[in-house]
Amino acid sequence: MKKIVAVTSCPTGIAHTYMASESLEEAAKKMDVQMKVETQGSVGVENELTEQDIKEADAVIIAADTNVSHERFGGKVIVEVAVADAINDAGALINQALEKADRGEKTEVKSNLKGQVSDEKEKRRSKRSGPYKHLMTGVSFMLPFVVAGGLSIALSFVFGINAAEQEGSLAAALMQIGGSSAFALMVPILAGYIAFSIADRPGIAPGMIGGMLASSIGAGFLGGIIAGFLAGYITQWLKEHIKLPENLQGLMPVLVLPFLSSLIIGLLMIYLIGPPVEGIMSGLESWLQGMTDANAVLLGLILGAMMAFDMGGPVNKAAYTFGVGLLGSEIYGPMAAIMAAGMTPPLGLALASTLFKNRFTRQEIEAGKPAWFMGISFITEGAIPFAAADPIRVIPSIMTGSAVTGALSMLFGVGLKAPHGGIFVLPIPNVVTNLGFYALAIIAGTLVTAIMLRLLKPKLAE
Amino acid sequence: MKWGIKMEVNEFINQNLIKMNLKSEDKESVIKEMVEIMEENEIITDKEEVIKKAMEREAKGTTGVGKGVAIPHVKSDAVKRPAVAFGRSDKGIDYGSMDEKPSHLFFLITVPEKSHDEHLQLLAQLSRNLVHDDFRESLLEAESAEKVMEILENI
Repeated sequence: MKKIVAVTSCPTGIAHTYMASESLEEAAKKMDVQMKVETQGSVGVENELTEQDIKEADAVIIAADTNVSHERFGGKVIVEVAVADAINDAGALINQALEKADRGEKTEVKSNLKGQVSDEKEKRRSKRSGPYKHLMTGVSFMLPFVVAGGLSIALSFVFGINAAEQEGSLAAALMQIGGSSAFALMVPILAGYIAFSIADRPGIAPGMIGGMLASSIGAGFLGGIIAGFLAGYITQWLKEHIKLPENLQGLMPVLVLPFLSSLIIGLLMIYLIGPPVEGIMSGLESWLQGMTDANAVLLGLILGAMMAFDMGGPVNKAAYTFGVGLLGSEIYGPMAAIMAAGMTPPLGLALASTLFKNRFTRQEIEAGKPAWFMGISFITEGAIPFAAADPIRVIPSIMTGSAVTGALSMLFGVGLKAPHGGIFVLPIPNVVTNLGFYALAIIAGTLVTAIMLRLLKPKLAE
Repeated sequence: MKWGIKMEVNEFINQNLIKMNLKSEDKESVIKEMVEIMEENEIITDKEEVIKKAMEREAKGTTGVGKGVAIPHVKSDAVKRPAVAFGRSDKGIDYGSMDEKPSHLFFLITVPEKSHDEHLQLLAQLSRNLVHDDFRESLLEAESAEKVMEILENI
């Protein structure tokens, strides 16, 4: 008996999904075809297709008005239609699928690495919660400022390293845009949007004011992060606990909340939190600037390994936030190590899957090609599909490679002024110092990753 | 498939939610007419919002699924509890159905933004039944709201 598997799905997931499913099942019964239908409706996925089901099926029918992933149906005959077609004429659809199967028209499902990666990113984003989510909101709002600032500063150096000191020159203008405007806004924006994530709109004012204070008293991005969280939670608390009489409630958002919350956070920053954080921050800055080679290598190793450890997860983002934050203090070394180390995991996997084909599945080899692109674009998440399939061997491999890259980048004293962009920012003059050595560090890490994978991954049986 | 649904069907439809002779003659007014049934039975809190949501859903793709059946549906905070209203038009209404034929049987399904899975499963079960010819025919032939309830209770 022929077997067909199907997936039905519609936007609201209340009615059509199930009507289509029933139609297909009914029609299949009449036609003496074995049918299993997975419904993706408002209740979630029901009657889920197993790998076994898919393997046994002669054809796959996807009747959906939503985006149903094709990933798992690689190498199968697929008929894809709107959900309505399955409701109206399921019989014809089944015939179509079986005919197509007889003709052996396999649909080449391109292993869609990009799709998988963006699914994974989306999943992570929706799972983020609590302080981590707030911090990431702040960082994501801050990034455009860092990009604009870093690149403007880099461009100003085109005219010579001290050109910006010449008043009225273009170099000075660029420095004014990048350094004294864009970078100056970094910490206030970071703090403001952390607070926004916690307390919504009322959080922005106290957050930004707290961030501005952190900036001006020299508490840097660390102070900004603290200011953002404090502002958010304090504002939230005030919002919930201040009870005004009905006719005065209109004053809450325009007068009471912004004034009180900013006052509290401002005083806290100036008298209580600012000074010690300023101490930590300036200690950190002078340590980073006067670091011995051994310490630089150690820091590079740690940051590199962190970047690869969870490929865009919280540990990766912690290292990344650290690097981006330091750009505001005009310390560019860690950022370079971090971006390089974030590029090597997909690059190393792409290289390994090209060179050592017998250690990767056909799908993985296929996924290797887009992984090159993800790698040079600094999308560490490009390694996730490989790591998900074989975490015990892949994660140590990419961590080793990234650690080597991070350490080399620090050792060579490479600096990077852009917080993102992969190799595409490198041609912009002065964005990266020691470009040749930087490339060397990335290549070395890529090779190490590939070699580690060669050593750890066993040959697959054909 | 007939796992003791009988009792639970009463939870989201009753005779007051059944209208045997719909007066409307076009799509928008029939949606309005059905939503008004919901309002009269205090299923929804905001009639305009529910109509708007239903029309938005139609704009994404008609819920006139052919074979004379239309199942407009709404998921919204303006809905107090999951419910189904049933309406019949013997004359038929042009609902822009997929098979371009007039629709006779209308199920307006409303669910709150946050619904229990059991309710959604019941609605799914109802939808599944609409596919069956004899189920639809018996609804077309039913001479009273009591009879319709009886048919629904026996799905």
